[in-house]
Amino acid sequence: MEQAVHLDGITKRFPGVVANDDVDLAVEKGTVHALLGENGAGKTTLMNVLYGLYQPTEGTVNVHGKTQQFDSPRDAIDEGVGMIHQHFMLVDPMTVTENITLGNEPRKWLGLTVDSEQSRKQVRELSERYGFDVDPDARIEDVGVGVQQRVEILKALYRGADVLILDEPTAVLTPQEVEDLFRVLDELTDQGKTIIFITHKLGEAMEAADEITVLREGKNVGTVPADDITREELAEMMVGREVLLDLDRDPAEPGRSILDVEDLVVEDDRGVRAVDGISLEVRAGEVLGIAGVDGNGQSELVEAITGLQMPDEGTITYDDVDRTTDSRRERIEAGLAYIPEDRQERGLVMDFELVENGLLGSQHAADYTSKGRIDWNYTRDHAEEIIEEYDVRPPDANAHAKSLSGGNQQKFVVGREFARDPRLVVASHPTRGVDVGSMEFIHDQINALREAGRAVLLISSNLDEVQSLSDRLAVVYEGEIVDIVDPERVTEEQLGLLMAGQQPDAVPTIAADGEGHR
Amino acid sequence: MSDDAPSRNGGDPPAPDSDGRWSQYRQRLIRLGQTSVGERILIAVSALLLSIVVGTVIVTAAGLMATCRSPVLTFGSTTLCYDPFYVFNRLFLGALGDPFAGGWSPLNAQFAATLRETTILVFTGLSVALAFRAGIFNIGTQGQLIIGALAAALTVLWAGSLVSGTVALVLFIPLGLLAGAVGGGLYGAIPGALKAYADANEVITTIMLNFVAVRVTLYLVRNHFADPTSQATQTRTLPVEGQFPSILFDPRTDFSLLALLIALVFVGGVYYLLEHTAFGYDLRTAGIQPAAAEYGGVDSARTILTSLTLSGALGGIGGAVFVMMTLGKFQTGIPSYGFDGITVSILAGNNPIGAVFAALLFGVLKSGSNVVAFATNVPPQLVGVLRGLIILFVAMPEFFRIIGRRLATREPDSPATATAGGGADD
Repeated sequence: MEQAVHLDGITKRFPGVVANDDVDLAVEKGTVHALLGENGAGKTTLMNVLYGLYQPTEGTVNVHGKTQQFDSPRDAIDEGVGMIHQHFMLVDPMTVTENITLGNEPRKWLGLTVDSEQSRKQVRELSERYGFDVDPDARIEDVGVGVQQRVEILKALYRGADVLILDEPTAVLTPQEVEDLFRVLDELTDQGKTIIFITHKLGEAMEAADEITVLREGKNVGTVPADDITREELAEMMVGREVLLDLDRDPAEPGRSILDVEDLVVEDDRGVRAVDGISLEVRAGEVLGIAGVDGNGQSELVEAITGLQMPDEGTITYDDVDRTTDSRRERIEAGLAYIPEDRQERGLVMDFELVENGLLGSQHAADYTSKGRIDWNYTRDHAEEIIEEYDVRPPDANAHAKSLSGGNQQKFVVGREFARDPRLVVASHPTRGVDVGSMEFIHDQINALREAGRAVLLISSNLDEVQSLSDRLAVVYEGEIVDIVDPERVTEEQLGLLMAGQQPDAVPTIAADGEGHR
Repeated sequence: MSDDAPSRNGGDPPAPDSDGRWSQYRQRLIRLGQTSVGERILIAVSALLLSIVVGTVIVTAAGLMATCRSPVLTFGSTTLCYDPFYVFNRLFLGALGDPFAGGWSPLNAQFAATLRETTILVFTGLSVALAFRAGIFNIGTQGQLIIGALAAALTVLWAGSLVSGTVALVLFIPLGLLAGAVGGGLYGAIPGALKAYADANEVITTIMLNFVAVRVTLYLVRNHFADPTSQATQTRTLPVEGQFPSILFDPRTDFSLLALLIALVFVGGVYYLLEHTAFGYDLRTAGIQPAAAEYGGVDSARTILTSLTLSGALGGIGGAVFVMMTLGKFQTGIPSYGFDGITVSILAGNNPIGAVFAALLFGVLKSGSNVVAFATNVPPQLVGVLRGLIILFVAMPEFFRIIGRRLATREPDSPATATAGGGADD
């Protein structure tokens, strides 16, 4: 078959780092090709080379059998290569049509105005041709994430893309939306388009792709057909050693209540009730999972519990002490550890060295500071311990946080928070952007905390994660808890429906007091 | 500066289009943002030399255009009125009291004038730098300095009416400094509280409070504390015990080594506060990344209020030193030390130790200007141009460095901004 893309011996060096090392990648026309690897494996860099964002240090880019020299994404688009980034680049108040045609609008009256009739017609045709269910007149701010992603894909197609690169396309989608996306990908390949998608999720690569190329430490470890490889084999290729994908653990023996949230209401900046009357309880020695599509009040719930945002109504109790109005610092001192959703905004000071970042949240604690003076030697030892225990790379306490890759930043944050010896842990997307090996380690740590009798509140949009780690699983939708279910018996489909705000039949509900749980 | 615009293409680089050129500039800016301390000092020295070269051209051009009775050089009908080398010689060497001439003593009067300016600029530079590190743009150091100056003068005058002799000798200077700190500190606390609790932009409030300070001190001095024997709007002269002793230097120089020493102690103090205390950690974190500070349990309102109070107190002490060392009384029309402090702080990269060197450069330029005016017929406006040029050249690399750092954290494909979902491949 014809090769749509052929990367030949691509090496990309950054000062001090080899991001891609002599990588070959051949993608056949009309197929879905998954680019699988851990964080820092060089997947995104390689695709940025193909998309013209980076120029390779060595090697050549061939598209449709011709050697290409892409100096910018514009050159790549001209040759039919389009990329859909993880974060959508859409204008919210504008319509689907306007977004798709933006910058390439059909013109009328000697090019003086936009021919909006023509645009709408073109977009409708394009959308029908690939079986996309998209209303050309809907505003971006009114449609869901799944639709927004399809708009991004249409935008690339409108610009004439034959090869579509999708960077972690499933990160923001519900299971149903992921299904829809995969159907869309099939339709596209049936019509001769070529898809390359970047992922670190094994299951998705196996389900959606025809072929899988695994990158590890910047090198191509191998390209395999998706049909004759097992999850275990793939995981081993990614990590370079055997990985245990399933956790064995004892049933929970929940003790007394550590966190008690009653009738919590949190309004967002616009005065909308982001959290609308949530009550929940986390007990010693259990993990309460919160599942839901991002943006259904999880962030506000977490910020209210951790003291970053004052609730508008309701109470928050730690250990039978009412802490509704306590400051963030008082809550840290009460034994709260918090892995924030956004490590680069909140969890780390990007311009600080790791030594200084290891102190964040503990700067007034007696271990680190006496009479206002920081013990920098002790603080440095602490940071080095985290680096060693959590295998943070590069292992240099003097490195600035911003010089680390996302996965290593996350490992450092997790290490710092777990090192507090907390009574209550709030973990918001603790393994987001973290590779399989580190994910396994972080999961083990969460289990260890649970076994040591700590209370853990786990928020994640990764269903595998919340299902495998939680003892009880609360599903939130539009600021309310739809149901609390048994994570071991609930199906992914039931979860998907609950996350969409519906109540399917025969859901294994658990009463809030834990009755009915083995 | 090393030109390391990445030569990424194996073959011939294509003619850069506008995008490519911008990305090259961006790479260079980012590189500038990562310079080490040594490189930065080298850049500053090169910038200084370059500004002298450009200044020489300007002085020469002005000298060719001007008409004068005794030109330095004459070629036919063309005359050169100003000698650019002599101008820079006076500006720098003159400010130090001619170190290469015979019989030079570091205790000379011109060097004293330089250090006198430097001392006060160290305080105002520290004041601005401290607020800057907390992410607050304190334009109000001038007002805080004025209030501190009046508070110190009035307190020492009042104390002078009660005691004298040895007690006064020991007590008055610390008392005056304390009064300056309290006055400036309270005056800094006003915009601090407004920002912390009412979310008022500190740039606006501090600028406005500068005007308020000028008018209020004018009113108070004219109507309540005027020196009856003087035409000028000023207080009575402070008792001698309340004036800084001019150690080693000639008393007529109005410079005191003790005051300079105190300034250096404050430099050490601010450095220690920022780098070695939990409060300094809170302050720096709040200044550099407020969301992370909030996450780390920093009370942002309290940090804002405290930093602006401390910043005001440093400005106020600068005012107290000005009154007790230079003037010997309070007088309206205080020079713009507070505004110069902003430039000093930027030159120093908001680093307290760097502020000493930046203040010294400023002190040299200020006192050197007077020497130039005295020794040559170059108009003072042209000397002002040269000063501005030198400061601009030295400050600009620092300014671009700040932009480079911003770009580096915003670089869309750098590991720093890759966020959720594992796009962080580097």
